Amino acid sequence: MDNPTRDDGAAADEALIARWQGGDQRAATELVGRHAQALARFAVSHGVRDEVEELVQDTFVRAFNSLQSFRADSSLRTWLFTILKRLVLDRQRAERRQRNKVELDEGHAIDEFDALDGMVADEALVRVRQATARLSPMQRDVFALRVNEGLPYAEIARVVESTEGACRVHYHNAMRAIKEYMTDD
Amino acid sequence: MTDCPNGLMRDQLPEYVHGVLSAADAARVAAHLEECGDCRDEVALLETVRADAEGRTPHINVAAIVSALPRPSAVTGRPASGRIRSTRAWQFAAAATLVLAVGSSVLWQRSPEGATQRVADSSQVLPTPASTAPVATAAEQVAPTEGMMFGGGLSDLSLNDLESLLGQMDSVRTLPSSQPESMTPVIAVKDGGKAL
Ligand SMILES: [Zn+2]
Repeated sequence: MDNPTRDDGAAADEALIARWQGGDQRAATELVGRHAQALARFAVSHGVRDEVEELVQDTFVRAFNSLQSFRADSSLRTWLFTILKRLVLDRQRAERRQRNKVELDEGHAIDEFDALDGMVADEALVRVRQATARLSPMQRDVFALRVNEGLPYAEIARVVESTEGACRVHYHNAMRAIKEYMTDD
Repeated sequence: MTDCPNGLMRDQLPEYVHGVLSAADAARVAAHLEECGDCRDEVALLETVRADAEGRTPHINVAAIVSALPRPSAVTGRPASGRIRSTRAWQFAAAATLVLAVGSSVLWQRSPEGATQRVADSSQVLPTPASTAPVATAAEQVAPTEGMMFGGGLSDLSLNDLESLLGQMDSVRTLPSSQPESMTPVIAVKDGGKAL
């Protein structure tokens, strides 16, 4: 790896996990502080508007309850994103069931969310939001993790359960779609 | 907005924006940006998207989350909770042996009200880091071997559950998992409400 920054992050997480397992509760504060906002951004990119913090909290609770089974062959960050993604998808499914609706695809759910999300002064920002809302769920996840978090394709592939090569294609397709939308009419 | 023909360079732009490239790579990208308007436009777009994502995300109260976490001793002091990780073959073998041993007696070991614990109770299903390895193609995603952890002892399981467990052991690499079983979040209520 030619990326000391990223490796340092994973190593720091591992050290903090070891400290926490050794009884140091402050290590939990550091671990949560390192990842909470990124998890919240990922939830928001999924169209979650309410209870973002509850989702993030639930992600950490689940992760910490299973830290004894965490193995460092994947990064903690990847694992947290994966847990959050499943919680979000499960919640969205539950909400759809509750509304007793015909299965909507997740892209539509995001459309609804963005259409309702007014009060954006910047016209370019409105276009960007509309463009990202039109991405497929897979493109949206890959794009969000790549652009908002700067994750490498290898990590993204684990979160979205795909391959690095496929994620690279999804990312560039998403970028092309957004550019085309931005420059249309 | 056109695409720069230098795909390798474009591929590094998100990491450049996040400052996570090595110094040498960052210098190469910076030099390229000096002479490439397409990539400068793309960087501007990336920064807009990223800033928007940050701007629309509520600030998370770290202390509130930490207060809801288990204490270290409460988790690590537990003797592995009887959980079995799908990635540990020896544990599978041990579980299978135990299943055979208790299979005939499990029915009368159930609790009086007949409640049984589901195998892979979804509220306990967590993706395991080792189980999310990429597979051959995006179109043919094979499930990670999630859902093979379970709480409680094998004697808590019904005969059907035990058969189901054995079935899962056999097909552990072929389970479709992009649709994991519904998870029932056990969300601790925090004080203070949402931070916005
Ligand atoms: Zn360029």
